[in-house]
Amino acid sequence: MRVLRAKLGLLLAFIILASLSPSSAVPVVATGQGPALASIGPLTFGPDGTLFAADNQGAAIFALDLGAQVNGGVAGAKALDALDEKLAALLGTGAREVSVTDLAVHPRTRNAYVSVMRGQGAGAAPALFRIDGAGQIANVSLQTVKFQKVELPNAPVANAAARQNPRTQVVTDMAFADGRLWVAGLSNEEFASKLRAIPYPFATVDRGVSVEIYHGNHKAVETRSPVNAFVPYTINNQQHLIAGYTCTPLVKFPIADLKAGDKVRGTTIAEFGAGNRVLDMIVYKKGGQEFLLTANNSRGVMKIPTASFASAKPITTPVESETAGVPFEKVASMMGVEQLDKLDDTTAIVISRSASGGINLQTVPLP
Amino acid sequence: MRPRLLRLAAVTVSIVTAAACGRSVNPPSSPAIKLTSAQDGRAYVEVTGLSPAALDSVARASLTPEQWSALFRVAVDDTAPGMLGDYSVAGGALRFTPAFPLDPGRSYRVRFDAARLPGASAPAVSIVATVGQPARDATPSTVVTRVYPTANVVPENLLRMYVEFSEPMGRPSGIEHMKLLDESGRAIPGAFLPLDYQFWSPDHTRFTAFCDPGRVKGGILPNQQMGRALRAGRSVTLVIGHEWRDQYGRPLKEDFRRVLRVGPAADQPLDTATWRVQPPAAGGRDGLIVTFPRPLDHALLMRALGVRRDEAAVEGDAIIDQAETRWTFTPKQPWRAGAYQLLALDTLEDVAGNQIGRAFEVDNFDTVDKSPNPKSILIPFRVASPTTE
Repeated sequence: MRVLRAKLGLLLAFIILASLSPSSAVPVVATGQGPALASIGPLTFGPDGTLFAADNQGAAIFALDLGAQVNGGVAGAKALDALDEKLAALLGTGAREVSVTDLAVHPRTRNAYVSVMRGQGAGAAPALFRIDGAGQIANVSLQTVKFQKVELPNAPVANAAARQNPRTQVVTDMAFADGRLWVAGLSNEEFASKLRAIPYPFATVDRGVSVEIYHGNHKAVETRSPVNAFVPYTINNQQHLIAGYTCTPLVKFPIADLKAGDKVRGTTIAEFGAGNRVLDMIVYKKGGQEFLLTANNSRGVMKIPTASFASAKPITTPVESETAGVPFEKVASMMGVEQLDKLDDTTAIVISRSASGGINLQTVPLP
Repeated sequence: MRPRLLRLAAVTVSIVTAAACGRSVNPPSSPAIKLTSAQDGRAYVEVTGLSPAALDSVARASLTPEQWSALFRVAVDDTAPGMLGDYSVAGGALRFTPAFPLDPGRSYRVRFDAARLPGASAPAVSIVATVGQPARDATPSTVVTRVYPTANVVPENLLRMYVEFSEPMGRPSGIEHMKLLDESGRAIPGAFLPLDYQFWSPDHTRFTAFCDPGRVKGGILPNQQMGRALRAGRSVTLVIGHEWRDQYGRPLKEDFRRVLRVGPAADQPLDTATWRVQPPAAGGRDGLIVTFPRPLDHALLMRALGVRRDEAAVEGDAIIDQAETRWTFTPKQPWRAGAYQLLALDTLEDVAGNQIGRAFEVDNFDTVDKSPNPKSILIPFRVASPTTE
C-alpha cells in the first residue's frame, strides 16, 4: 500500500459547479432593493463595479449595485492605523467586537471597501464601509442598494426531518472571471471543498464536475481538501484559476476545461509547505514581469514570479522537502497580513494585524 | 468650569447622567438628555426640554449628518466621532436612533450643543451626558453539553469532532481552545487542523473541529514527520478550555475534559451489507431500527439516511443513540404492510471519513466521482402485517 501511495501521490479533488442544462438549475431567489444580509464577507468586485458579497450565515451570494454611493470620495484609499477602533467607534461598540471579514478595491474609484461584522455572538450584524483617498470612512447604507441574490444550494438530504439540520457552508473566497462568479466553499460537516461557477447576472447555480490535483507533499491519494483562496489568471491566452489549498499546494486549472460532467485534473505547480494556508492572493506587474502575491497564515507573504506558470513542471511525484515547484521569495517587510488587494499598479492595500492584536489598513509598495 | 448636574433620567433600564456647561442658558427651557428603551427593545437617545420653536427650526433646517452630529452627538467616548444612526424630531424631542443596538454595560457619551441650533444666538448651553444600559450578568453559565463521537473508544484516524454547547457561542473559531493531551498530560501539537473558519451551526451551539488529515493519513509527510495525533492502544484527554467565549463574551463555566481510548484505525469503506435492519410491524409507529457495526458520523447520519415507499419519502423523525451505532426512525403515520426501502446517500461517513464504498484513504484516481451529486443506495425491507407473522 505504501508503495502504491508513493506512486500515485495524494489526489485532492473539489467540485466545480459549472453551467449545465436549465433543468438542473436553481432559480434566482430574489432581486430588489435593500438586501437583508445576515452576515457579510468575503467580497469581490466585478469589472463593472458590481460588488459581490458572500453571506455565510444566510448561505447566499449577493450582487450589489452600490449606485451613487461609490461617488463623492477622493480617489484611492489612504492607510489608517487602528482601523478596528475607528470602525468600532462608528458602530457604537468596542474594537474587540469588530471583525473585518474582507477587503476589496473598487475597479474605478480605487476606494477600499471593507466588510465588517459587529458583535461576536449569533446576533452579530453586518456592515460595509468605504475608505477613500483622504482616509474618510463612509458607511455604505444597504437600504438603498439594488441587489440580486442567489442561494447556495444545501446538500441533499435523505430525511425530510433533516431540513433544519445544522449544516452550514463557509465561503472561503470569490473571484469574477469569464462572465461568472467563482465561489469556493467548505462545509462544517463533510470535509470537502466545493467551487461553484455562477453566471452573472445570476440565473443558475448548477451541479458540475470534479477537479483533481496532485498534492506532492502528502504522498497519498485523497479526494478532499479545502481551497482557501484563488485568482483568475491568463496563461498563454487561456483563462485559468490559480488556487491555493491548505498545506499549501498551488494549482492551476484552465477554465475552458471546467465543463460539467467532465473530470478535470488541475496541475500542481508548487508546494509552499505544511501547516499553512493561503489567506488571500493578487496578481500584479512590476518591471515588465508578472507576480503572484500570497498572504499566508503561518508563512508570511510570498512573491511568486508567474513567468514559469505555463511551463512549470507539474508535481506528480512525492515531495520530501518542505517546498517545491515554481520559485518564490518571502516578503519579510509585510507582516501580519490577513487581507490583500491591489490598490493600483504599484501599490497593495492590506489589512494587517499588529503584535498587540489591533487591525491596521496599510498601503504598501508592491514588492 | 464646574459641571452642574442637571438631571438624572433613568428610564426603566437606562442610566443617564448629564452635565451642563456654558455661561448662560439660551433655550427657553432646560434641555436634558434621556435614553429610552422602546417596547421592541431598541433604545434611542433624546434631547428633551427644547421649545417647540427650537424643534421646529431643526425640523425645517434639513440638517446634514455632519450638522446633526455637531448639534447632537452620541459616541463611544468624548473624542470619537458620532455613531451611525438616524436623527429625527419626534415626540417633542430630538431623537437619535443608533443603527445598531447599544451594547449592554457600555457607556456612551452624548453631547448636545445648543449653540448649533438653527438660528441660535451664542453663547448657549451645551450639555454632556453618559448613557448606557445595564451590563448583562457576567457569571459564566455556558457549558459543553456533548462531544461527538460519544463512544469511549475512537479510531486513531478520527477525522472530526462536533462540540455542542448549552447556549450560543461567539462567532470566532474556537479551535485554539481545544487540546488533546497525551497520557503524560502534554498537549499533542497539530492535532486539529488550524482552520480559523467559523464552523458553527446556524444557532452557534455546535462547532466542528477537524483533525489534521495531514497527520491522519498514512504515508503523508506531516504524518511521517509527526505521526498520528492518536495512537491505538493509548488514551488521550480532550480538553476544551473555559476561555472559549459565549455569545455574550462570557467564558465557559468550566473546562470540559473527556478521556478517549484510542482503537485501531478504521480504514475500510462503509458496507451496507453489514447493517442490521429490524423492520417494525405494520399498523403501529414503532421505530425502524438500523444498527451499524461501528459508529457513524452523527451529523451525516442525521441527514443521509431516510425511508422510502413507492418512490416517495416517508415522513418521520430519527433518533441516534448507542454511540452512533443505532438509528431509529419513527414515522409520522403508522407503517403499512409491504415493501419499503432504507435510503442511504453515499455521503454518509463513519467518524474517520470513510464513505459507503469508498475509504477515506482511497488510492486510485478513478475513484474520484465525476458528479458532485450523491448516489443513493437503496436497501429493501418489508413491513409485515402482524397477522401474517
